[in-house]
Amino acid sequence: MKTIRSLLLGTALAGGALLPAQAQDVTVVMSQNEVGATSYNPITAQLLSVGAWLIYDRLVAKDEKLQYVPQLAESWEEAPDGMSWTFKLKPGVTFHNGTPFTAQTVVDWLPLYKGTENEYLFDAIDHAEAVSDTEVRFVMKRPEPNLLYNLSTVYGSIPDPAVFAELGEDFGVVEAVGTGPFKLESFEIGNQTVLVRNDDYAWGPGAATGRPAKIETLTLREIAEASTAFLELKTGGVDMLMNVPTDFVGEVTGTDNLKLLELPGTDLIYMPINVTKPPFDDVKVREGVAFAINQQEIVDAVFDGRGKAADGFLISALPESQTAPEFRISYDPDRANAALEAAGWVKGADGIREKDGQRLSVTLWTQSDSIFRRLSEVVQAQLKAVGVEAEILTFDSAAIRDQYKTGEQQLAVRTYLWDNADILEWFFGGDRLYYPNISMLNDPKAEELKAAAMTGAKTAAEREANFIAYHQYINSLYPYAPIYEPVQLIGYNAERLSLPEPLQAARFNTLGFLELDVKE
Amino acid sequence: MLGFAIRRILMLVPVFLAVSVIIFLMIHLLPGDPIDNLLKIGAGPEQRAALTAKYGLDRPLYEQYALWLGNVLQGDFGTAIVQRRPVASLIGQALPYSLALGGLALVMSTVLGVTVGVIAASAKGSWLDQGLMGGVLFGSMLPNFWIGLLLILIFSVSLGWTPVSGARGWESLILPVVTIGLGGTALVARVTRVAMIDAQSRDFVMLLHAKGVHPVVIQLRHVLRHALIPVVTILALRIGWILGGAVTVEVVFARPGLGSLLIKSLNQHDYPVVQASLLILAMAVLLGTLLGDLLQAAMDPRIRDGLK
Repeated sequence: MKTIRSLLLGTALAGGALLPAQAQDVTVVMSQNEVGATSYNPITAQLLSVGAWLIYDRLVAKDEKLQYVPQLAESWEEAPDGMSWTFKLKPGVTFHNGTPFTAQTVVDWLPLYKGTENEYLFDAIDHAEAVSDTEVRFVMKRPEPNLLYNLSTVYGSIPDPAVFAELGEDFGVVEAVGTGPFKLESFEIGNQTVLVRNDDYAWGPGAATGRPAKIETLTLREIAEASTAFLELKTGGVDMLMNVPTDFVGEVTGTDNLKLLELPGTDLIYMPINVTKPPFDDVKVREGVAFAINQQEIVDAVFDGRGKAADGFLISALPESQTAPEFRISYDPDRANAALEAAGWVKGADGIREKDGQRLSVTLWTQSDSIFRRLSEVVQAQLKAVGVEAEILTFDSAAIRDQYKTGEQQLAVRTYLWDNADILEWFFGGDRLYYPNISMLNDPKAEELKAAAMTGAKTAAEREANFIAYHQYINSLYPYAPIYEPVQLIGYNAERLSLPEPLQAARFNTLGFLELDVKE
Repeated sequence: MLGFAIRRILMLVPVFLAVSVIIFLMIHLLPGDPIDNLLKIGAGPEQRAALTAKYGLDRPLYEQYALWLGNVLQGDFGTAIVQRRPVASLIGQALPYSLALGGLALVMSTVLGVTVGVIAASAKGSWLDQGLMGGVLFGSMLPNFWIGLLLILIFSVSLGWTPVSGARGWESLILPVVTIGLGGTALVARVTRVAMIDAQSRDFVMLLHAKGVHPVVIQLRHVLRHALIPVVTILALRIGWILGGAVTVEVVFARPGLGSLLIKSLNQHDYPVVQASLLILAMAVLLGTLLGDLLQAAMDPRIRDGLK
C-alpha cells in the first residue's frame, strides 16, 4: 500500500480542478477523526465535526494560550464560595432565524441536557436565572472550577431552544439553528456539509469581533483516506486539509502552491507502564525505562522535527503541566541505568539485563497504524540501549482498547487528545483500572490528591494548584513515560487562500474561518 | 411455478431466524462495549452503569434478542447507541449511495462480462479467447483499492477528466463504478464462457447446425439462452455483495454507503446499527438467491419440477 501511495504521489501531476470553486466558496476536508459525525446536535451528539464550531457559539472561548476569552458572554464573575456564576451577555445577538439571544435563552438551554449522555457537563449547576435580558446567573449545587472549560467545549454550543424542542431528533440533521458565523445549508452524513455565511454576525471572538466571515460558502468534505484527501488538495478539488498526517508533510511542503499552517496540538503520545506486572511492580524499574526514552530523538526521527518533546502527562499549554523540574521526565541514560542497577538488574554478555537468572524481557503493545509501528520500533531500540529487551505486539487500532481491558500489557505506546488537566484522573484514577487506567495505578495518596484536584477546589487557581500536586505525585511513581506533543498541521492552497498567521486561537475553528479569505 | 415460488419463500423463514440469531450473538459475544464510546472524559462509573441500563445491555442476552427481533419484525430497528440517530434513518441515508454504486457496477459487469464471455467462447482456443480471458483473469486478481487509486491517478490527476472523490454528481460515480465493475466483469465473463462452451456441445446445437441455421443466430439465440442460467445465479448472488462489499472503494473514493456505515459501527460496537446492517445484507443475499432460483426455474422447467 505504501509503495502504491508513493508511486501515486510521486508521479501525481498538478492537474486542473474538475470542479473549480466559485470566487468566495471554499472547500475544506475535515479531520479524519471527525468523519462520520451523524448530526450537528450539540446537546446529544457524541461526535461533532468542525461545522458545529461554526454554526453555534458558546458563552466563552479559549485563546491560543488556552485562556478563557469572551464569546457570547462579554464578562463573568464567580462568587468567592464558588456557589454561583454571573455572566454578562453581549447585546444584539440573534439566532440564524432572527430570534434574539438573551439571558432567558440560556435559562431555557441548560435543561435540554437533562437525560442525555452530555448531562454530566453541567451537572453541578442547580439552575439558571435571568437577572436581566443581558445577565444570567448560574446557581450551583456545588463549586465547579471546571465550568468555564465545559462551557467552552463544542458540547457547550448553544442552539435555539425553541427550534430544538420543535424538531426533536431531527435537530442538527435537517436543520440547525445557532448564533454562529455560518448557517447550515445542507448536510449529507458521511459525504459533505455546506455552510453559508451569517451576514448578521457581529459578535465573534478576538480580533474578528464586529464583522461576519469573509468567505460566502464553506463546504466541509468527509474524506477518511489520507491519500485521497491529499490528491484532492493537490489537484485543486479542495482548498484545505484540516489535518495533514505526518506521512504527507513532505508531499505538502514539496508542492509549490501548497503550504502548511502549524498550530499547537492538543494531543500527547506516551508510554503507559503497567505497575502491577513484574518487573514493573518495582518503581525503580519503571524509573529506569521512563528515563530511557529519548523524546527529542523521536521527534526528529519519527515526526520530522515537528512538535515538542513531552516531559509530563499534560500538553504544555495547560498551566497544570508546569510541574517542578525534579518531577519532569526527560531522557537521562545515566539515571535510567542507575535505576535499573539499583533494582538489581545487571547487564549480561549480550547487553540485556538479568536478575536471578531471568532476562529483562518485556512486551510493548502498539496499534497497527504505520506511525505507531515506527514509533514503537524506535522505543524498542532506546530500551535496548539501557539493557531492556522489548518484544513489539501489534493490535488492530479498533481492537486494542479491548485488549487493554485484559490488563496483560506491560508497556504500550498510545495517544490521547484532550486539553484539560482532568485527563490525569481518567488515565490514573483508581476506579478506572484496566481501561482507561491501563497503567493500573491505584495508589492511596494519588487518590487523595485526585479527589482534591477533581472536586476539592472552590476556585480556578486552587484547582490549578491541586492538579499540579496530583500531576507531580503521579510522575514520582513513573506509571508512564512521556514521549511527544504533536502539532496540528493544516495544509492549504496558498495561491487561493489567505490564512491568518499567527492565529489567536487554540484550534482552527471559529476565529480561523472568520479570518480565512480567498485571494483575488 | 407459483407453488415452487411459495415453497422457496417458506424455506426462507427458518433461514432468516437462524441468520438473525447468528448476527445477534456474533456482535454481542465479540469483546467490546458501545458504552466505552459514549463516556466522555470525566464521566464516572455510575454514569457507565446508568447508560448500560438505559440501553438494556444489563439484561440477559436472550431477553435482548427477543426484544430486538420483536421490534425488527414490526419494522423498528431502534436508535443507534453511539451515533444517536434512528437506525432506519442512518441506513436509509447510506443505502441509495450503495444501490447507485452497486447497481451500476452490476449492470456494467453483466453487459461487459457476457459480451466478453460470448466472444471468447465463440473463438474458443484462439489467441482472442486466450487474450480476453487472460485479461479478465488479470483484472480479477487486482485488489479494488489498487485499481481505484490507479484510476484516480490516470483519469483525475493526470487527465483531469473525473473528480478524485466524493458523491457530488454523476461524474463522481464513474471511477468507483468502473473499479467495482471490473472485478465482476471477470467473474461473469469466465462463467459465461464456460457455460457457452458447455452448451455448444449439446445435441440440439448440432441439430441446429445440421439444419443450416446461421452460427451467429445459434450462438446468440440458442446457446446464450442456456448459458445464461448459471450467469443469472451468479448475478443474483452478487446482489448482497454489491450492497455491502464496496467498503474499500467507498473509502478510497470518499463515498458514503452501507459498507462504510457497517465498518464504522463495528468499530464503535454500535450494536443496533451493526445488527440492522448485517440483517439487511443477509436478506439481500437470501432474496438474491431466491430471485436466482426463480429465474432459473422460469428458464428451465426441469429445476422447478425437481423440487416437487
